[in-house]
Amino acid sequence: MKNVLILLFGGIILSISSCKEKEIEPTEENELITTVKLNFENAGTVTTFKYSDPDGDGGAMPNIEKINLQANKAYNLSIELLDESKSPALNISDEVSEEADEHLFIYTPSPSSLLTYTYGDKDSKSLGVGLIGKITTNSAGSGKLKVQLRHQPPVGGVATKNGTATPGSDDINIDFDVEVK
Amino acid sequence: MVAKRNILFRKNYLQILIIYSISTFLISIFAQNVDKSPNTCNCQLHGEVLDNYTKKPIAGALVIIKGTKKNTETDAEGHYHFEKLCHGEITLICRILSYGTIELTLNLQHDEDHEHNFNLSEEEFHLNHVEIKAQKIENINQPKSLINEGQLSRLQGQNLGEILKDISGVSSLQTGSSISKPIIHGLHSNRILTINNGIRLESQNWGSEHAPEIDPFEAQKITVLKGASGVRYGADAIGGIIILENSPLPDTAGITGQFNQIYSSNGRQIVSAGRLQNAKILKGGQSLAVRIRGTFKKAGDISTPDYRLINTSLNELNYSATIGYKSNRIISEAYYSRFNTKIGIFSGAHIGNLTDLNEAIERGSPLSIYTPEKFSYEIGRPYQLVTHDIFKLKNNLKLANSSLQITIANQNDSRTEVDILRGSRNLSQIFYLNTTNFETVWDHAPIKKLISGSIGLNGIYQKNLTTGTLEKPTSASVLIPNYRNLNFGIFAFERILKNKWEIEAGIRADFRKMQVFRIPRGQQSIINYKADNQNLTGTISGNFRATDYLNILVNFTSAWRPPSVNEWFSDGVHHGAASFEKGDENLSSEKALNSSITINYERKIFKSEVHIYHNSIKNFIFLTPTGRPVLTIRGAFPEFWYAQTNANFTGIDIINTLNINSLMSLNSKYSLLFANDITNNQPLIQMPSNRLENSLKFENKQSYISISNQYIFKQNRIPTKLIIKTIPKEEIIYKNFGGDYTSPPPAYSLFSLAIGHQFYLKNKNNISTSLTINNLSNIKYRDYLNKFRYFTDEMGLNCTIRTSYSF
Repeated sequence: MKNVLILLFGGIILSISSCKEKEIEPTEENELITTVKLNFENAGTVTTFKYSDPDGDGGAMPNIEKINLQANKAYNLSIELLDESKSPALNISDEVSEEADEHLFIYTPSPSSLLTYTYGDKDSKSLGVGLIGKITTNSAGSGKLKVQLRHQPPVGGVATKNGTATPGSDDINIDFDVEVK
Repeated sequence: MVAKRNILFRKNYLQILIIYSISTFLISIFAQNVDKSPNTCNCQLHGEVLDNYTKKPIAGALVIIKGTKKNTETDAEGHYHFEKLCHGEITLICRILSYGTIELTLNLQHDEDHEHNFNLSEEEFHLNHVEIKAQKIENINQPKSLINEGQLSRLQGQNLGEILKDISGVSSLQTGSSISKPIIHGLHSNRILTINNGIRLESQNWGSEHAPEIDPFEAQKITVLKGASGVRYGADAIGGIIILENSPLPDTAGITGQFNQIYSSNGRQIVSAGRLQNAKILKGGQSLAVRIRGTFKKAGDISTPDYRLINTSLNELNYSATIGYKSNRIISEAYYSRFNTKIGIFSGAHIGNLTDLNEAIERGSPLSIYTPEKFSYEIGRPYQLVTHDIFKLKNNLKLANSSLQITIANQNDSRTEVDILRGSRNLSQIFYLNTTNFETVWDHAPIKKLISGSIGLNGIYQKNLTTGTLEKPTSASVLIPNYRNLNFGIFAFERILKNKWEIEAGIRADFRKMQVFRIPRGQQSIINYKADNQNLTGTISGNFRATDYLNILVNFTSAWRPPSVNEWFSDGVHHGAASFEKGDENLSSEKALNSSITINYERKIFKSEVHIYHNSIKNFIFLTPTGRPVLTIRGAFPEFWYAQTNANFTGIDIINTLNINSLMSLNSKYSLLFANDITNNQPLIQMPSNRLENSLKFENKQSYISISNQYIFKQNRIPTKLIIKTIPKEEIIYKNFGGDYTSPPPAYSLFSLAIGHQFYLKNKNNISTSLTINNLSNIKYRDYLNKFRYFTDEMGLNCTIRTSYSF
């Protein structure tokens, strides 16, 4: 009988010890990019076109603005990545800039005759990054501009970024409609 | 052309199978009339039948001498007695109510070297005293398969999912080569229960990449109950139950134990495991016992025949301790175990979206940056970090003629999944699950030596935490929400044993109270969702032992499973799968009705087991594609919904063993499964394909050598139709309606070789060693049930050396 009591007592202690409230700290959350801004600058005028999906993946559809550009013009293009679900909004482009060695933006127009993109920045190994660059439009037309951010972190301590899109995986992959007039 | 050759190949295989089955059957018929030479028949045999655990005598046990009509029942003290037995080898079969059937082979001969259990009587009768130790089992009439200690020792070093593949009808759902989940007759994850030393393992088992948190070294015996079997252990056991059991604690003084050392060439895996136990006998028939156990495992990057895969290493450290007290009236056991693992996930399988996945499939093999020349034990991102603790108290009280068992346990499951993230960000997802289990079972005294049974009650109280505190979640972006779950069930079993018949019936009532705390997408406030489910399940089975070599078991069982939280509330991109998964709050409980017949035919030369089953599941929950895209910042993902249908799982498992002579045997296993969505009249996705395994084994008392072939057929039965009808036609862009991204991989054939030897030392010590070579011909292949089949080949040649020292 004594043993039964000891065990019951043990059981009670056990259940009490499991009752203390545990908490998971929300400090480090899943990364989220809700907004991508493309800032086109020509002769001091900045025009911004935006991708925004404030509620993240799923839920409400993202809103993708159409890019309107003028024919045969050169634009300075800068890209901004934000997480606007936090307040204040989190600037993800800063993080990309800090880790330029493992990030690569890729701008692919289709048809390819629509415009040309040249990188305006370089990482520590002189490979392009694409946070800033130049877009030159050709004659009028319409099509799409695919904006990709390839995340190419080192694998087993070896850098993988080689200036091409192949390594890594997509963190951003957006098709903007483009009209060149 | 290729397809044609495949068909031919299959035809050949079927022919071989049929010819083999017929020939072995014929041999077995002709072999009936051997070994009947006249002999002096003056041997006596007597002994006791005891409960292996309590060491109490068992009355009313039926003891049969195999192959003869001789049989007897044990008396009130558990004694049995035979006389006028002939010299030579005999096999005793012992059948007892609520215990497993035991078979013992003895040699009735005067032999001075055999000191154990054997004496000459004064009347010059050959007399043999044999104690039969019966191990009580929980659910006797359920179709089951067993991996015993000997078989287990030849498979150790692998994870549980891989070990269980040895059982016909069991396959595994894999994520690479290090994460493996058992599938029983096509069902896995939440539809399978794992009972680890009497405790229902509670973990995040809804995830296909969440392997069971179990160290196989913790078990000395693994039993798989096939098919629905929820009456004893509660909801969820629609597909089957895996029961891991340790041997009972010692009750004689002296240190005993075992040390194991295992090395595998592929991944340079090192495993060290050990077990030590001792007992102290106190006055008045009381005893104290203690056992400690530990396993250390370290494995590096594994290799396919052509390349090495980066970040496929793993570390594991597990330990446990058990203290037991035993008297005539009570047996108490306190048990603590910890399972710790860190598993690297192949970085080349990390994808951002469907384009990444399609490119990987098209590429055929991983990029060279993911297949380094240099071997490493290092684990980088992504990886999983899992710990699982179990604390258990178990008491067995002997009452007048019955017994009462009370078990209380608490388990903590903590899982951290770290993904490839930017910058200093570290944590991807944390899952924390605390479960308290309570169970009490009363075995009533046998009624008229005919009916035995038990009545029990079990409860589970569970808290799952993924963000903030239980009732105050702080984030909406979690894979599964916080919840509190209360489960309560009562059950009763009765069994009748009469002559050749054994009939068992059981009934159970279950209640579940679920409370979910979550922040819906884009909102700030916490929503409290409540759901109550209850259900009644039952089982009835009949076992008919027609002759001592033919046994027929018929079983009907129902089981149920309430929807799990992920099936209700999933709403996001499943990264590894490149799909957008959406749950449904209105899902109802799954209900299964399983019917099966198992025929065992066992002769000296030929042994066969045929298991035919039909599991019909109403409201089967599964993920199905809508054909629609969901646009995200990483591009478009195919949308999948959790939907319900009526499904049938019909199949057959066949095991044949042909003992060609005393040294050589041929073993064949064949499993076939048809899994159909009957509402929509098409096959279900991700079901194991048919498989055939043959092995030829030469074995004497100390050594064995075996060569095996495993042939896995291509899965041709895949869904092709879209079943969700409410989606407007113009929104459907993914025409790959089956919900897969590429067709199932071709059939493959694997060879393996095993050689083993056992050295007997003095004082019952022994050393056993073995060498196993898997994928002997180092072929390249991919398996339909491996999630990484889109990215890489399976593991190449692997040599494993096992050494075990028992004392």
